[in-house]
Amino acid sequence: MSVLKRFWPALFGIVCILGLWQALVVITGVPGYVLPSPLAVMQAFAAHQQLLWHHAGITVIEIVAGLFIGCIGGLGTALALARFHGLRRTLLPILLISQAVPLFALAPILMLWLGYGMTAKIVMATLIIYFPVASTCYDGLRQTPQGWLDLAQTLGADRRRRLLRIQLPAALPALASGMRMAASAAPIGAVIGEWVGSSQGLGYLMLNANARMQVDLMFAALLILVTFGVALYFTTDALMRRLMPWHEDRTGATS
Amino acid sequence: MLRLTRRLMGACLALVVIASGPAWAANDDDTSKMTSLKVMLDWYTNPSHAPLVIAQQRGFFEQHGLDVELVSPADPSVPPKLVAAGKIDMAISYQPQLHLQVDQGLPLVRVGTLIATPLNITLVRADSDIESMEDLAGKSIGYSVGGVEKVLIDTMLEHNGVSPEDVEMVNVNFALTPALIGEKVDAVTGAFRNFELAQMAQEGVKGRAFYIEEEGVPTYDELIFIANRDTLDANRDAYTRFMAAVEEATAWIINHPDEGWEAFKASDPALDTPVNKKAWYNTIPRFALRPATLDGRRYETFESFLLERGQIKAKSPLSRLAVDLSQP
Repeated sequence: MSVLKRFWPALFGIVCILGLWQALVVITGVPGYVLPSPLAVMQAFAAHQQLLWHHAGITVIEIVAGLFIGCIGGLGTALALARFHGLRRTLLPILLISQAVPLFALAPILMLWLGYGMTAKIVMATLIIYFPVASTCYDGLRQTPQGWLDLAQTLGADRRRRLLRIQLPAALPALASGMRMAASAAPIGAVIGEWVGSSQGLGYLMLNANARMQVDLMFAALLILVTFGVALYFTTDALMRRLMPWHEDRTGATS
Repeated sequence: MLRLTRRLMGACLALVVIASGPAWAANDDDTSKMTSLKVMLDWYTNPSHAPLVIAQQRGFFEQHGLDVELVSPADPSVPPKLVAAGKIDMAISYQPQLHLQVDQGLPLVRVGTLIATPLNITLVRADSDIESMEDLAGKSIGYSVGGVEKVLIDTMLEHNGVSPEDVEMVNVNFALTPALIGEKVDAVTGAFRNFELAQMAQEGVKGRAFYIEEEGVPTYDELIFIANRDTLDANRDAYTRFMAAVEEATAWIINHPDEGWEAFKASDPALDTPVNKKAWYNTIPRFALRPATLDGRRYETFESFLLERGQIKAKSPLSRLAVDLSQP
């Protein structure tokens, strides 16, 4: 009941948008291959359930694997940068340059290196996730309040302990926003990979549906992606809140 | 900031007016007779589109009172949709695709033919152990986006006694040659005999082609002009003149292949590549000599073939699929 209470405004908004969309399609009589109605999308969803879930399973594996490897890698990089000052001069510029590379342009080359299987998609998702996590976490590690560090020094903590016991917890809020960003970007990475070349996955399904003018099926696949992206975002959010019970979140104050 | 933008906009507007002033003045007397047509290609400009580029360059369109604008799409699935939506007058598409789209209720109709033979081939590396299509069992086949690609390859495989379940289909989204040369797939289908073979040779890899019309698929027109059925009568005259200009350009290309190549590459510096030059000469024998003329039987046969394969729900009459503008 309380859940419903919390979410009804959002639900109401979504229902309104869907209603408007349906009305727009009915009133303008726009053909299905240009814009399918929400009802047509739902019908396509029901009709192609098995197909959709099979391909969704593939994409979900790619996303989760990419998210996991990307987060671990990003976190490791940030910790290494904070711990070893020598690394900063070499690694940090590379990290910054790599942020500026449009990953979409890399995708076709990745396929040619790694083939059209799952590996290339996981690498693609990993790359998209790795940079925001590494950079936000590193920024967080650098912004520990000086007082805490002085205190740690007084209590005789060595550098490693200071990093793991003081700087890392202090960096968690920054890391959380990086993780949330990564969670919503992860599906993009996997789908870009599938879009460039694949034999399974939601991106593959969408490519084929588009070519066959089954726009309703394409939207149904999109719906699954969006749902999964939102679920991933909230899961990450909840997990991060769990990790830092001391951190006040002002958005939660109203409920 | 805003003020600067406004000033710039004003300056741009002034420039446009100044630049186009003389043009208006010059065209004032003949715009009344000129019909403008917006034509979308199926893919980026390549030698398959030669008659259009040449008709544009040598003024054949103009002589027929046409002001033609050629546009390339961002994605090859787009042109038919734009024709159906009435956003462009004509598009280049593929005959097999037309059958499927008419079946789906799109108001499209073939009004002319650009390439009168299939171009579609299944391509493997000459140094591979795939001597015939029978050897494709258990292999991976790359294909490009295309609603009909899967049907055609399945037919070719079954014709050779291979079950479609025994091959892995990989959508390589237009990177056909790179995927095959990089040995990421064992074969590619939907490659064009006039272009991809030349592209492979350019990379120093010999290709082996299996021709679709020799592997159990009825022959068809690879590239056709499609228009909107609902506005056909209003534009019939313009389309007829368009086909006449394309016919003249094709004849001129066949008579002057070398000069044609020079003219073609002059239209856009990006076209001047060794692959395009090879493709240019490969394509010449495949142009429709009479673009407007309709081979009705060809369309009926293909429609029956797709119905038999369960790819269309019902058989459309020939008049819904194609018109013959060469009929007086």
